[in-house]
Amino acid sequence: MQKIDYTKYKLKTKIEILEMLTGHKRVYILSCNKCFNEFTLDVEPETAELNKTLNEAGKTTIGFMALDFLCNKYLTEKALNNAKKDIEEADAVAVISCGVGVQTIAELLNIPVITMCDTVNQGGYHGISLNPEKCGACGECYLSVTGGICPVVDCSKGLINGACGGAKNGKCEVSKEKECAWENIFRRLAGQNRQNILIEQQPKLRNYNLNSVDFVETYVKSVQAKRNEGFYGGIYPEERKEFTSKMAVEKIAAPDLVYIPLQQHAGAVCEPLVKKGDKVKAGQKIGDSKALVSAFIHSSVSGEVISVESKKHPLLPFPVPTIIIKNDKKDEKDTSILPKGTIDTIKKEDILTVVKEAGIVGMGGAQFPTHIKLNSSKPVDTVLLNGCECEPLLNADQRLMVEQPEKIITGLRLLMKATGTTKGIIAVEDNKPEAFETLKKYIPEGSGVELLQVKTKYPEGAERMLIKRVLNREVPRGGLPLDVGVLVNNIGTAAAVYDAVYSGLPLIKRVITVAGTGVSKPGNYEIPIGMLISDIVKICGIQIPVNFELKMGGAIMGFPQDDLEVPVIKGTNGIIVVMKKDDLNEEPCIKCGRCVNVCPMELKPHKLVHYAKAENWDKSEKDGVLNCIECGCCEDICSSKSRMVEIFRKSKKMVRERKK
Amino acid sequence: MLITRVKKKDAILSLCKGKTLLIACFGCKEVHFEEKEYQALKEDLKTSNLNISGEIQLDYLCNDDYTNKRFELHKKEIDEAETIIIFSCGVGVQTFAGLIPGKTVLSGCDTYVLPGFSGFTPSSHDCEQCGECMLGFTVGICPVTACSKGLLNGQCGGAKKGKCEVSKNKDCGWERIYNRMTVLKKDDLTLKKMIRVRNYNK
Repeated sequence: MQKIDYTKYKLKTKIEILEMLTGHKRVYILSCNKCFNEFTLDVEPETAELNKTLNEAGKTTIGFMALDFLCNKYLTEKALNNAKKDIEEADAVAVISCGVGVQTIAELLNIPVITMCDTVNQGGYHGISLNPEKCGACGECYLSVTGGICPVVDCSKGLINGACGGAKNGKCEVSKEKECAWENIFRRLAGQNRQNILIEQQPKLRNYNLNSVDFVETYVKSVQAKRNEGFYGGIYPEERKEFTSKMAVEKIAAPDLVYIPLQQHAGAVCEPLVKKGDKVKAGQKIGDSKALVSAFIHSSVSGEVISVESKKHPLLPFPVPTIIIKNDKKDEKDTSILPKGTIDTIKKEDILTVVKEAGIVGMGGAQFPTHIKLNSSKPVDTVLLNGCECEPLLNADQRLMVEQPEKIITGLRLLMKATGTTKGIIAVEDNKPEAFETLKKYIPEGSGVELLQVKTKYPEGAERMLIKRVLNREVPRGGLPLDVGVLVNNIGTAAAVYDAVYSGLPLIKRVITVAGTGVSKPGNYEIPIGMLISDIVKICGIQIPVNFELKMGGAIMGFPQDDLEVPVIKGTNGIIVVMKKDDLNEEPCIKCGRCVNVCPMELKPHKLVHYAKAENWDKSEKDGVLNCIECGCCEDICSSKSRMVEIFRKSKKMVRERKK
Repeated sequence: MLITRVKKKDAILSLCKGKTLLIACFGCKEVHFEEKEYQALKEDLKTSNLNISGEIQLDYLCNDDYTNKRFELHKKEIDEAETIIIFSCGVGVQTFAGLIPGKTVLSGCDTYVLPGFSGFTPSSHDCEQCGECMLGFTVGICPVTACSKGLLNGQCGGAKKGKCEVSKNKDCGWERIYNRMTVLKKDDLTLKKMIRVRNYNK
């Protein structure tokens, strides 16, 4: 297909440029990396050309900067602030961009901003592609009665009441290259035997008031507010939470066999403490590690160890040592399971030990050992409990908040006590009003716990976004929430901390949402760690339809599982069946800018894809691929169907390997 | 940047004949596709005895490579339908209609334009692509778009308290230019240089 270069600007002539810059000697050049053309170069040629023109005229270029999408005010402002010192030394800033970019810069700087370009009129507006079809955006679409050919754009005169009579041999009088749109319209309608429609359904007079100032103002403001709500970027996926949001947590009995991987956490894999033939009790520690970052592993059933072997892991790409236990169904508890105290009686240091012994990790998916977070030397002033659960379909946290509010609040207070903090916040998205109202009733006065309702937006559950939204603090790139004095924990984790303290129970079970297409018994289930997905599939009656896939985790960030003989682990918050991505080929990036708009980490995903393809790991690293949180926003909206998350996972691996 | 609004039922119904297939483009639905209104219209069309033979939801209909591939995927539904209603911007409708010129293709939406060209957050600044950029003379505020009348030679005198006579929500573009010039301590010599007749042939 013919691809059009929709670059919006071209340099003015030398004479015009110098006329514009009269009286300005020292010039700083800011240029935009163009949108809507195929991504080929890093540096556009216009900058060098302008630089030459300026030098020849005896002017000094004191610096230049090329940015992607100059019109993206938020990111451009940040970039300008970083280079503020240099820019402010100039007499004028010369901008190479379309009119929108120039105006954006002029608004941000307090020195003369001079345009170096004319903006090219495309005759209508293109879509999110480089196709020749254009739309006049007239607000009263005539395409139904014109056979899908637009008279507003394609007729040189924009006539809506038929041919003007000026065409000769099917060509418009404006140019021999241009076909008469109305002849084309007639021909297409005649081909469909619908030509009478031109008489029956005549287009009416055009209403030029449709795109009025007020309409545009209102719309622009509402969209801007929605897009920049709380934190930069993000998307609004279909929530589809209604399937299981009202379903109370149901216990699923432990199966005959459980498969407990010795790695269910970020950090070092555990060593097995048991061997084949050993009898174990529920809650007994069966794996530990001396490594700095690791989390203990416990048996979720009582019974006999029948094997310790490497098995497929649901998240990791390599086999992991796994303890397979035959359940004797007696559910005998280990003798170590004893209450350790209450919020009032337990000592600060003891909470840490209890959490460590219970093998608690972040249960939102990242599985970072909780005791390590608690034991940080960095000062913490706020413990933030993440009740956002922004992934579509999932309700596990929501149900916990509705059904066990006291547990969660006390769990949070235990975390506050462990870190010596007096301030705790539970942030709940406004699509979970029931959870919010329930928690509200149970927060004890004077406990320092605050409840906060936040507007729903994906990926709010990512800790950086939540911190930005709730506390307006920005976690530095490459840094952790602890760097800005915040400890973020998941709802499930708070409940697990409560259990570990009040009953002494280690983390051997968790609540999981099972939902999606083809699930006959969807719901929220309490499931023992180590239960195979295939067992859950049987119990919940899951049949995966064609073109659908089963994922562990959420609909967007979840990991697709081809092999269902893998166990539920500590970080599993959902088992869901969703439609596979379209089976469409990836096309070259057309720099539409959507991924830059939605990336909550403020990266340039389109560039990172470009660098990954060129195997340029230097630039990948420099442009911050290691900061990617794999939220999938960019992939979700990519108009070229780039598999970005997969590409960035690989980039990160390559960058890290090179560092070693 | 284009946005769409779903048409009224009556504007669509009279043009439909026989089995009708609905195709909705959700590519830009993120912010600008009236998803709820579309669903409501669909239900309304159903109760108005429109013979809806099927519905396809897809994205980026404007990309003809993808749209072509999707023809193959949905060939049966498309062949069977006598009328196809496309819910997308004008580019999507034209792309689709151009690829199957023998079929009656109707547009289910009206398309509007918001300021900004790239990405999906509309800009507060508009550019009319006049082809003879004057921003260098007007301290970076565009008289063609910021002034309701697109005047190049100063304000018309119709503004009251800085607001344009077209709408109370719109600032007078020329007052904005004047105010920024005061901040930048610029004289109006450059403005005098700028004024020439617009060349609409560019």
